[in-house]
Amino acid sequence: MSLIAPFRPWFQAQTYRDLLHLATAVPIAAVVLALLTAGWTAIGVLLITPLVVPVLLAYRGAVGLLARTEAALAHSLLGVATDPPTSSCGRGFWGHAKAVVADPSFWRQQGYLVLRMTLGFGFAVGELSLIAAAAGSITLPIWYRWSAPDITSSWHVDTLGRAFLFVPAGVAGLVAAGWLARLLGSASARLAASLLEGRRDVSASPEQRRRRRRRALGIHAGVAAGIVLTQVVVWALAGRGYFWPEWVILPLALVLAVHAWVELVEARRPARRLLAVHAGVTAALFLFVTLVWAVTGRGHFWPGWVLLGLGQPLAIHFAATRAGTRSRLRRRVERLESTRAEAVDEQDAELRRIERDLHDGAQARLVALGLNLGMAEQKFRSDPEAAEKLVAEARAGAAEALRELRDLARGIYPPVLSDRGLGAALETLVDRNGLETTVSVALDERPPARIETAAYFVAAEALANAAKHSGATRIQVRVGRRGDMLEVEVTDDGRGGADESGNGLVGLRRRVEALDGTFSVASPDGGPTTIRAELPCES
Amino acid sequence: MRIVIAEDLALLRDGLARLLRDNDFEVVAEVADADALVHAVLREQPDLAIVDIRLPPTFRDEGLRAALELRRTAPGTAILVLSQYVEHTYAAELLGETRAGGIGYLLKDRVMDVSDFVDAVRRVGAGGAALDPEVVAQLLGQRGSRPIDVLTQREQDVLKLMAEGRSNAGIAEALVLTVGAVEKHVASIFQKLRLPPSESDHRRVLAVLAYLQGQ
Repeated sequence: MSLIAPFRPWFQAQTYRDLLHLATAVPIAAVVLALLTAGWTAIGVLLITPLVVPVLLAYRGAVGLLARTEAALAHSLLGVATDPPTSSCGRGFWGHAKAVVADPSFWRQQGYLVLRMTLGFGFAVGELSLIAAAAGSITLPIWYRWSAPDITSSWHVDTLGRAFLFVPAGVAGLVAAGWLARLLGSASARLAASLLEGRRDVSASPEQRRRRRRRALGIHAGVAAGIVLTQVVVWALAGRGYFWPEWVILPLALVLAVHAWVELVEARRPARRLLAVHAGVTAALFLFVTLVWAVTGRGHFWPGWVLLGLGQPLAIHFAATRAGTRSRLRRRVERLESTRAEAVDEQDAELRRIERDLHDGAQARLVALGLNLGMAEQKFRSDPEAAEKLVAEARAGAAEALRELRDLARGIYPPVLSDRGLGAALETLVDRNGLETTVSVALDERPPARIETAAYFVAAEALANAAKHSGATRIQVRVGRRGDMLEVEVTDDGRGGADESGNGLVGLRRRVEALDGTFSVASPDGGPTTIRAELPCES
Repeated sequence: MRIVIAEDLALLRDGLARLLRDNDFEVVAEVADADALVHAVLREQPDLAIVDIRLPPTFRDEGLRAALELRRTAPGTAILVLSQYVEHTYAAELLGETRAGGIGYLLKDRVMDVSDFVDAVRRVGAGGAALDPEVVAQLLGQRGSRPIDVLTQREQDVLKLMAEGRSNAGIAEALVLTVGAVEKHVASIFQKLRLPPSESDHRRVLAVLAYLQGQ
C-alpha cells in the first residue's frame, strides 16, 4: 500500500480530468489570443467613434461565450459550478458600453481567459512534457535496446546500464506529474470559482464574495512573484547577460496592477467605479509603455503618443461622469425635496388624526364621564338609585376611555416593537387581527429603529386593509432581508382591487419613500393583493 | 326654557339632553351638524341653542359659524357655545356679533359641575352672558396697552368676574366686598371704558367686548 501511495493520483479519475482540463488550455489559448488581440485592436482603433459600442458589445458577448465554455469545462472536469453572465445590462446607447466596462465580471472573465492562455498554456505544456519525459525515461531501456541508437545518443546513453539509470528518475517524474496534475487541477478550480463566479451566485454573502476575490488577488500576486523570482534565478544562474526577465516582469506587473486596481475600486458606486477603472487602466498602460520605452533604448519618447491617445477618452469620460453626477444629484435633490414634503404632509395628517382621535375619543368620554358623575352627585340624596346607575355608567365610561387611549398610544408606537422587535410586534398584531395569518420574519439582526417602525406600519396597515376591505380569509406576512434591503410583503387571498390612492396606502408610500425605500401595491380585480415595501437598512 | 342641542358625538349629546331634562329644561331638538342646527332653530325658535364648535363635515369651526349666522337670522335665540378648547379669537368673533340676546362660551368640562352649568344655561337663556374662566383668563392674559390698562387691579378683577357672567352680588361674594363697593367699581369701569348708560346687562357685555375689541 505504502509503495503505491505516491502513485495514488494516477489511480483516481479526477487526475485525468485535471489533465484533460489542463490540456484544453492549448486550443483555448489560441482562441483567446485571437479574440483578445482582435477585440482590443478593434476597440482601440474605434475608440473615439460610436462604432466602438457595437464592437465592445460583440466583444463582451464573445468573452461571455468563451467564459461559459470555460464554465462548462470547469463544471464537467473540475466540478466547479459557476454561472458567468454573458452580457452586461445598461440603458441607452453609451449606457450599454459603460455597463460593459463597469461590469467586474467582464474583467474577471478576461482575466480568467488571459490566465488560461498564459499560465494554463504554460502549465499544460510543462505538465504534458513532464509526463512525456517521465514515460520516456521509464521506457528508455526499451528504446535503447530496440530503437536506433541515434534517438538516444543526445541523452548521452551509451549502455543499457546507463539507460536503466533513467528509470528511477522517470518514476519520480511520474509521481511528481500525478501530484502536480492534482495541484494544478484544484488551483484551476479555485481560479474558475473566483473569476467565473458570475452575478447569479446568490448563495454567497457580499462579505464572502469580497473575501474570495481578495484571496484570488493574493494568489495572483503570489504566482506572479513566484514566476518573476524563478525567471530572475534562472537569469542569474544563466550568466547574467541581458536582463530578459524584464519582459516577463512588465506584462505580469501590468496584469496584476489592473487586477488589484479593479478589486480596490470594487466598493465604489458604479459610475465612479467605471471612471476609476478607466483611469487606473490608463495609468497602468501608460506606466507599462513608459517602462518598455525605458528598457528599450530610450530614444524618441513615443509613449507620449500613447498617453495622448489614452488621455482623450479618459478626459471625455471624466467630463461625462461629472455631468452625469451633476444631473444625478439634481434628480436626487428633486426626489428628496418631494419625498420630504410628502413626509412632512404625512406627519401633519398623522398629527391631525391623533388630535381627532383624542377629541372624539378619550376627551369626549371623559367629559361624558364627568357629566355622569356631576348628575350622580346632584341626585345622591334625592334619587340614590338613579345616582348609582350614573356612577356605574361613569365607571364603564372610564374603562372605555382608557381602552381608547391605549389603542391610540399603540397606534402611535407599539411598545412591544421597541422591546421585542418586529417579529414579536407582528405576532401581537396578528393575534388581534382575527384572520388566519401566517407571519415569517427572517432577520439576523434588528434593523435601525426607523426602518423597523416603517416596516411595522406597512404590515399593520396592510393587515388592517385586508381585514376591513378585501374579504380575505388568509393573510401571509413575510419580512426578510435581501442584500441591504429589508423587505416586507403582505399577501391576502381577498377580492383585490385595493385603492392605491386611499389614505392609508398613500401614507405608507410616503413614509417608505421618505426613507428611500420603494413601495408597491399589486391588487388585480379578483385578487390576490400583495403590498410590498423595500427599505434600505444601511444609509 | 326651550333648548336645541347641536353636538356630533352621540355620547355627549345624549348626556347633555338628559342633564338638561333632569333640570327641567325642554330639549326640543338634538342635532348632529350645523345645517340641521340652523334648520332646527329656525323651525323651533327656541330660547337657547347649545352648540359644539366643531361639527361635521369639516370638524373645524362649523358650529361657531352656524352660531354667528343664527345671531343674525334668529336674534331671539340665545347661543351657548361649548368646546373642548378655548380660543380667544373664537370668543372675540362670537361676542363681536352681539347686539342683544344671551351669549356664552364654555369649556365642555363645565358640564361636570351640574349646578354651575345649569346656572350658566339659565343666565344665557335669559339674555345674559357666560364666558368660561379660561376664556376670560386668556383674554385678560394677552392684553397689552389696551383700554383695559386704564382700569385699576380691583376694577380688572371685577370685570373679569363680570365677563364670567356674574351678577354684582355674585362678584361681591367672590371678592369679599359689599355690593355697594362692587357697584361703584362697575360704574367706574363703564365710565373709564366710555360705555353710555343703558340697560345694565347690555353694558356688562359691552364691557367685556371692550377687552376683545381693544386688540
